[in-house]
Amino acid sequence: MKKKLVSVLLSAAMCISLLVGCGGNGAQSSSSDTAGTDTNQEQAAADTAKESQNAEVASDEKVTLQFWNVFTGSDGDILREIVDNYNKTNTDNIEIQMDIMPNDQLQQKLPAAIATGTAPDLVLFGVENIAPYVSNDSLVDISDFWDVTGVDKSNILENVLELSHVDGKLYGTPMQYNVSYLYWNKDLFKEAGLDPEKAPATLEELTEYAVKLTNPEKNQYGLALPTSVTYMQFLWANGGDADDPNTNTNLLNSEENVKTLEWLQDLTVNKKVSPSNITGPEADTMLQAGQIAMYMSGPWQINGLREQGINFGIAPCVAGSAGAFSPAGGCSYVIPKGTEESHKLAAYKFMQYWLTDDILKEWSQRNGFPVWSKTLMEDPEIQSDEVLSAISKATEIGRSYNLGYSLASQIDNDVMIPLFEKVMTGAATPEDALKEASEAMDRVLAQ
Amino acid sequence: MTNSKKKRRYAAQNQKSAYLFILPSMVILSVFVFIPLIASLVISVTDMNIFMNDVSFVGFKNFTRLFADKRVSNATFNSLYFTLLEVPLQVGLAMLLTVCLAKNNRYCKLLRSIYYLPFVCSMTAIGIVWSMLLDPNMGLVAYWLKQAGFETIAFLKDPKYAMPTVIAVTAWKGFGYTLTLLAAAVLNIPQSLYEAAQMDGAGSFQKFIHITIPGIWSTISFCIVTTTISAMQMFDQAYVMTQGGPLNKTETVVQYIYDRGFQTAPYDLGYASSISVYLFVIVAVITFVLRKFVLNRKEDADA
Repeated sequence: MKKKLVSVLLSAAMCISLLVGCGGNGAQSSSSDTAGTDTNQEQAAADTAKESQNAEVASDEKVTLQFWNVFTGSDGDILREIVDNYNKTNTDNIEIQMDIMPNDQLQQKLPAAIATGTAPDLVLFGVENIAPYVSNDSLVDISDFWDVTGVDKSNILENVLELSHVDGKLYGTPMQYNVSYLYWNKDLFKEAGLDPEKAPATLEELTEYAVKLTNPEKNQYGLALPTSVTYMQFLWANGGDADDPNTNTNLLNSEENVKTLEWLQDLTVNKKVSPSNITGPEADTMLQAGQIAMYMSGPWQINGLREQGINFGIAPCVAGSAGAFSPAGGCSYVIPKGTEESHKLAAYKFMQYWLTDDILKEWSQRNGFPVWSKTLMEDPEIQSDEVLSAISKATEIGRSYNLGYSLASQIDNDVMIPLFEKVMTGAATPEDALKEASEAMDRVLAQ
Repeated sequence: MTNSKKKRRYAAQNQKSAYLFILPSMVILSVFVFIPLIASLVISVTDMNIFMNDVSFVGFKNFTRLFADKRVSNATFNSLYFTLLEVPLQVGLAMLLTVCLAKNNRYCKLLRSIYYLPFVCSMTAIGIVWSMLLDPNMGLVAYWLKQAGFETIAFLKDPKYAMPTVIAVTAWKGFGYTLTLLAAAVLNIPQSLYEAAQMDGAGSFQKFIHITIPGIWSTISFCIVTTTISAMQMFDQAYVMTQGGPLNKTETVVQYIYDRGFQTAPYDLGYASSISVYLFVIVAVITFVLRKFVLNRKEDADA
């Protein structure tokens, strides 16, 4: 009996010593390797501790804000410059630590971070995200922003400000506003014998130009139509629509939509004016390489086109029988739930800094984003800027597509994107694709 | 009587130390396998979303919804299609090459190492490189096809070719690993068997069928089972190369789980978990069947 007990104990001891042995070895080797640097580190730590103590004595406690955003393009560099400059110059002892990540990564990390109380203090993302987060009670209501900071709310264009509201409550402050424009390559227009200064203004003209500008021999396409995006501008142009977010009704089944989709299918399947099945980023690259004559996209194209030396123009989206419209979008600063009060006030300070005319002007001029501060619109420098004036004209036709609607991204992913993909690849007739999409829409809206 | 009692107690004591020995791996397995497995079973009968507030029990609602969802059946079809083509391609290609390369000379060793190379690269990197090469507008393959006078094929963008392309890339990445395992097994077959067959007048094809295949059958079946399981869980290659498109033709079950849980609002973890339970059942059934029919043949071969 005793023997067995001993054997059990021994085996247990063996197991433990094995584990400890491994751990011990690792620790020993690493400590001996870094023994020299350890003391340095301690020294450094002591130094910083002293410094921070001094700082605390000098002014209020230092506030470090974690700031996540999705500005992975060249505009992110400009944003970083502005934030770095703010860190250096602000007198409130605020330091912003910026973390840039692709949008889909942010969408994965943020909900989990909010649920576990590890969310950043400040987030900058597309306004279409605000409503779903609010419906999950994940953003802080900042309706008191104007009173706390004293920023003049009436100086901001109403439709821009509206994008940050859900049910009359403010959940973010505007950072930028944009719609889709029609970009055209003037050199390719000239080669095809078209007037390089005149962009198509109607759906018929767009078709005509696109066909003329398409040349498969040279791998050149008249109009890039990426799949995996929606084309509300075309549906609206002929008087159609997808849904009404206010009444939760499905508006897909209409003669107008069938007509528009037939036109779209003819353009891509029969006339082949667009490279088949491309993604947005691929279309961006081809536009910059001069392989695409016309493309509908947001202001973020401007810098890339300038860098590549493309001779381009910017026009409003084309009109159909019901007029011309363009889906509006933008980005807002929001504060996730769980942010401490002191951090929230510091975030207010940075939002206030962004809403000063100097910063907004820098952002608009360097990135080619439209201006929406009323005092800034009077600025002579802004008024004389060629690109910005072309843009502000094209921005007038902005229209909200499900912004502020909590089902928006589900409608896009489950209904609208598959609908356009099926129509544009010719996988289904417009009638069948629309019927299927309408059923899918009913399912989404029923939730 | 005392003797038997003693024996039993001895066995019990022995068992205790056995448990102590498996404790470390049990801890790791339960943290990374058993607990998540049970958790996803539990989550699949709730309406939990990623924000984790207001979680309530919904019974089998997620499962009834699952069987009515066309994208689930589409994804299941894609996963099965991928598995049925990818596994024979990868294992078959490796087996064919084993015949030539199961020798320990310098040339064969070099070739085996070259074929093994793609396996050590990450699927993401390989996927990005292949999608660049195969791009119909800017890719090198499209350029070559054009130079050779053929029409360019939009490999990853054409609904007809997207899945076969993903299968080919996956098999290309994995066959070197299978080849290495099979070659090692072939080298373990005693030479005397081949010599005896030679004396009996067997040709090289007969030797392959009657000596090589039975000799490495246990390794082959191991390869089939592991490749099948990983093929059923295919995710990264399609995610990187096609994002499940065009027209959801390359969307697999795992990708759809990811899409429902983490990509599309309302981030429905309950529904995503129910699909993963569904996938778990499918993989379990396939593994069971394979064990019964593939692994069992080993005994026949030995006999």
